[in-house]
Amino acid sequence: MDEPNRQPKFELAQARELAEALAQHGADYLFLGKAGAILLGYPGTTLDLDLFAPKDADNARRCIDALRKLGFHLDEETEKALLTGKDFVQIKDGPFDVDIIHAPDGIESFSAAKARRVMEDIFPIASLRDIIASKKASNRRKDLVDMELLEEFAREYAAMNAKPLSSAFDQAMKRSGGDA
Amino acid sequence: MPQTDEETLSLWREQCRRQMKRPLSARLKYGFVRVSNREHVNRSFATMSDYRAWCEQHQPSYLGYGRAQPTAQV
Repeated sequence: MDEPNRQPKFELAQARELAEALAQHGADYLFLGKAGAILLGYPGTTLDLDLFAPKDADNARRCIDALRKLGFHLDEETEKALLTGKDFVQIKDGPFDVDIIHAPDGIESFSAAKARRVMEDIFPIASLRDIIASKKASNRRKDLVDMELLEEFAREYAAMNAKPLSSAFDQAMKRSGGDA
Repeated sequence: MPQTDEETLSLWREQCRRQMKRPLSARLKYGFVRVSNREHVNRSFATMSDYRAWCEQHQPSYLGYGRAQPTAQV
């Protein structure tokens, strides 16, 4: 009897290996989708990792080198798809499933998303605003099911991570060096 | 058992707060599901529309990859 197709669970050690390999090769990327939300504390589950990367051949080369180092098998066609920046590249021939997305629905550009990113430990993650925008724009039934839960999570996340508010008066006083 | 939508959402908010307080290792350990019949085939799509169309043609509809129906205009 054939052994079932087993693979290790995706856990912190693998996530770190991935982030460290991408960082060592200088690759630019953001965690997107439900994987990004889970890293931020969303109590849900997913099957794969969505990585948002810029359409840039040099950056793609760095991603390819990092993924190969981790044991992903990237054939010629997959390599070409990454280098030419095809919108969606699904990589399933490796230790875990990774989707590289170059043009996610609902996000205007990589640079804009990067400017709004959140760092959780060593993981660069698209903002919840962008994660939700891309899911809304994709208009898939499975994403719409999650939408209300994600939006509630985003409110809780904002409340838990809010910086103390200061009024315009407080800020004016601070600028003038006075006490409020 | 929650009796109303508001009670259900309130429980969800509590669950979110608890999860955010858990360490990253726990979030990852229970957040990623592995499947045993995983295929090892890479695919690429020139556009997101091509990907959505492929999902609609090749994924079972119960997985929810299909496009949602447009909302009826009132």
